[in-house]
Amino acid sequence: MTRLSDIATVIRSKNAGPRVLTLDLIFPDVDSFEFVRSAGERLRDEVARVYGLPAGQITIIHYAPANAIKITLPRAVMAGDPDDSDIYGAQQHAPLFEVAL
Amino acid sequence: MRAVARLLDSFGSGARRPLRILGVSGQLGYGVPTPALQEGLRRAPDLIGCDMGSIDIGPAYLGSGEMAPTEVGARRDLRKVLHAALDAGIPLVLGSAGSAGAAPHLDNTLAMLREIAAEDGLHFRMASIRADIDRETVIDALRAGRISALDGMPELTEEEVRSADQLVGQMGLEAFRRAMEQDPDVLIAGRACDTAIFATLPVMLGFPRGLATHMAKIVECASLCCVPGGRDTILATLDDEGFDLESMASGRAATPASVAAHSLYEQSSPYEVVEPDGRVDLRTARYEAIDDRRTRVSGAEWIPAAGTTIKLEGARFLGHRALLLAASSDPRFIALHATILDEVKQVVASLVCEDSAPDYDLGFRVYGIDGVIRWREPPSPMPREVFVLGQCIAPTPQRAQEVIRTTKQYLLHHGYAGRLSTAGNLAFPVTPPEVDAGAAYRFNVYHLMQTDDPAGLFPVRIEEI
Repeated sequence: MTRLSDIATVIRSKNAGPRVLTLDLIFPDVDSFEFVRSAGERLRDEVARVYGLPAGQITIIHYAPANAIKITLPRAVMAGDPDDSDIYGAQQHAPLFEVAL
Repeated sequence: MRAVARLLDSFGSGARRPLRILGVSGQLGYGVPTPALQEGLRRAPDLIGCDMGSIDIGPAYLGSGEMAPTEVGARRDLRKVLHAALDAGIPLVLGSAGSAGAAPHLDNTLAMLREIAAEDGLHFRMASIRADIDRETVIDALRAGRISALDGMPELTEEEVRSADQLVGQMGLEAFRRAMEQDPDVLIAGRACDTAIFATLPVMLGFPRGLATHMAKIVECASLCCVPGGRDTILATLDDEGFDLESMASGRAATPASVAAHSLYEQSSPYEVVEPDGRVDLRTARYEAIDDRRTRVSGAEWIPAAGTTIKLEGARFLGHRALLLAASSDPRFIALHATILDEVKQVVASLVCEDSAPDYDLGFRVYGIDGVIRWREPPSPMPREVFVLGQCIAPTPQRAQEVIRTTKQYLLHHGYAGRLSTAGNLAFPVTPPEVDAGAAYRFNVYHLMQTDDPAGLFPVRIEEI
């Protein structure tokens, strides 16, 4: 098993608008990018597991020009609502450290 | 003839040449590094642009009308870019004025520019574009079925429209073009698509819309597309086939990988940029190194939409916020924190609601446990220390303080099962530990509105200074 945090050069999260969280995984080369891309639906299932969301709510986009994979999720709480703990969504990436493929 | 007409004229009369665009700041008001700006000005730019705002900073700024940076910071940066543009005789274009681009933000920005002009003896023609959307216009569109919810927002209601403290629309290139046609030296827009700041003049000069918009989407963040990413001025040199990117800070490199990766930033898709009247398809974009610090970008395609759709943003007042700042290092308190906090909430309610209604919202965030992320499971082992942030939102600042001060007292002395530390449960990091945090807002409008009259939504005003 290879952990994402062992091969990615960037693992980050941010709002894409106040209702969507976007997670970026950027890899150093084509080989590591293709390794994760080839995992296919397993990545979606793992993301669903660590974020506690149905797999159907997770969008995954492969972006070869930057050896990157973008994952988008609905935010549980709208940005800035009283229950929101991360207004910019910049610290929601940590569960990805648990993902191994 | 003013700055915009001079530029249009020079292209109309001379040979076709590349256009040089300076992206000076992604958030004007937090400092513009002078060395990179000066280097950019030495490259004989045709246009200086800066974005001033975003929705990402949260609803407080839109709702309250306050700016995110300090007035001192905003004034210093405005002065710097205003002098730069007027000295060079080129247009200065600012979008999403004053952080959120509603009337108070735009008016504050315009007032600062007038004051700077008076203090420094500057004269120029200033165009401004309002982004506030009339409530009745939105309600008419709602009744006509021309409003749709974005990203799972609830359907809009008339009550929410009327209760928004501020309600703006994101204007696009169409509004900027109408303002440019008035030949300003300086153009200040309320809430706007950041692309319109940089793409409007290129498109008016006949450069391809897809390329101009892709370029704009990159330079609006200044040198963030570089390695290492940063806030320094960036130069884009646009021609009919593509554009070259170069950071004006010598230590930052725009590489094909770093520029391509920028399309990921704060976007739900790296393959498109959505505008009110169409979108840019980046699937065909190419990124090629010119040398180790410069990248050439080409290939983006503009796909026009059938009509115009404006993104609406509204924020609504919720109440006044007071915070409690406290911490614990007691293992038994930490183990039982969830139960303790629930019990204290009930104790507080029984005290502060004896002769008034339960009119407030009290909550806690326990850092070290789940203050940032809703983890599926608690940490094991539990942390040695936790920080407890209490938050009350109530109808008045006095009520919020009454609740939060009562909470402080009863949380400090709450007798939970197995307690050994009977002198007090909390470490207060500051005195007083209860803090007024001002008015609280939430986004209550985040919807798309179809319109046949974008010109009517975003009026242009011209002023000679």
